[in-house]
Amino acid sequence: MKTPTEQWTERSRALAAALSRSALGDRAAFKRVYELSSGHLFAVILRIQRDRDLADDLLQEVYVSAWKAAGSFDAQRAQPLTWLTHIARNKAIDSLRRAQAQPRLESVHSELDDDDRPDADQRLVDEAPGPAALLERASDARQLGHCMEGLSAQQRQSVALAFFDGLSHAEVAAQLCQPLGTVKSWVRRALMTLKACLERAAQTDRAVGA
Amino acid sequence: MDYGRRDLADALAAQYVAGTLRGGARRRFEALLPGHPALRAALADWQARLMPLTAVVTPVSPPAHTWARIEARLWPEAPAAAAARASAGQPWWRGLAFWRAASGLATVAAVGLGVLLANPQPQAPPVVIVLQGTEAGGPGAASLVASVSGDGRALVTRPLQPVALAAGRALQLWAVPPAGAPRSLGLISADGVTVIRRERLPLALLDARNTAALAVSVEPPGGSPTGAPTGPVIYAGKLQL
Repeated sequence: MKTPTEQWTERSRALAAALSRSALGDRAAFKRVYELSSGHLFAVILRIQRDRDLADDLLQEVYVSAWKAAGSFDAQRAQPLTWLTHIARNKAIDSLRRAQAQPRLESVHSELDDDDRPDADQRLVDEAPGPAALLERASDARQLGHCMEGLSAQQRQSVALAFFDGLSHAEVAAQLCQPLGTVKSWVRRALMTLKACLERAAQTDRAVGA
Repeated sequence: MDYGRRDLADALAAQYVAGTLRGGARRRFEALLPGHPALRAALADWQARLMPLTAVVTPVSPPAHTWARIEARLWPEAPAAAAARASAGQPWWRGLAFWRAASGLATVAAVGLGVLLANPQPQAPPVVIVLQGTEAGGPGAASLVASVSGDGRALVTRPLQPVALAAGRALQLWAVPPAGAPRSLGLISADGVTVIRRERLPLALLDARNTAALAVSVEPPGGSPTGAPTGPVIYAGKLQL
């Protein structure tokens, strides 16, 4: 699934170059990194952390970390946007954990935890597409799309909720009204099916290319 | 557990990247990464597999202030210098020349010591800031030491040599933030130790986001009448922790 450097998009190359210069302390280059990637990372964070102020703060943390870790970015091993997105997703997922650890004042007023969800949704910036719709769009990507089609509807939905919206197994289970164990196995099987499918596709590609 | 086992490493990395590995398990996975090449390899593979999914998320422009805040976090000294470049005729603490001189002269030492501290606190090491005499202070002003307790709540100053002040003049200590006007920390003695009461000190004084430098100016006996430095700055030291 790793894309060879020569097949990268223009943006990937520009990002990789700017990141490498950032590692040498070039602040102007780092601003370029920000310009090329912040819209994407902010969107990724906002899907998981829907509080806009918190998301903004997380985005700042992402770039502070990225500046400090720029030296460890290795263009041979990862695409720059993959590398940055990984940092962003981690911060966003960790922020959910922190938020849960803190006392939830609003739950004084709402009896059911589920009541918080619609509120959270209303705070969302705009009518963002749901996770299932996103997965459908992702399915436009050639190999991934083909492999996504190989999943059952429930598997797809579970992976989408977990991956795009940062829901835990338990939250996915609650959302889909399914037992926790069932959801866990859907996600596990979905990931393994995806992996097997993508590896087959890569082998076919190599065979065709050879 | 044997994290070298391929199938286990693969399953953990998959759940980690998908985001379903949570809490303690997530922390453990991260802690194990440096020592387990098999985990790192599995992680890289899963990132490459799943991250393309995020490509379909419609980009959302972050707020206009975000980049400036990132800059302020990364390079706390930058906004002051940038502002100085942006317009001339600003107050002295915005002047680039001042900061060039100050950073050229200033020696900042972060030394853990209890010698100068009136009330050493063992849990957080105190910070000593050496404020060098500026040109405005003349050859008489050698340097001045300010030591701040590790929690930032008590500050002690002492000139290494007594300062020759004109009659009816006093020394005033300022905390200079990365952006915005200096904040008075009070009057200090020209020839001995001054302990600044903790209630006079701003919270998180030692946070680089709040304080870029300390400076001492010459003021009328009661301190600056305007709330901003009015006399020459004779000592300055950048905070570089």
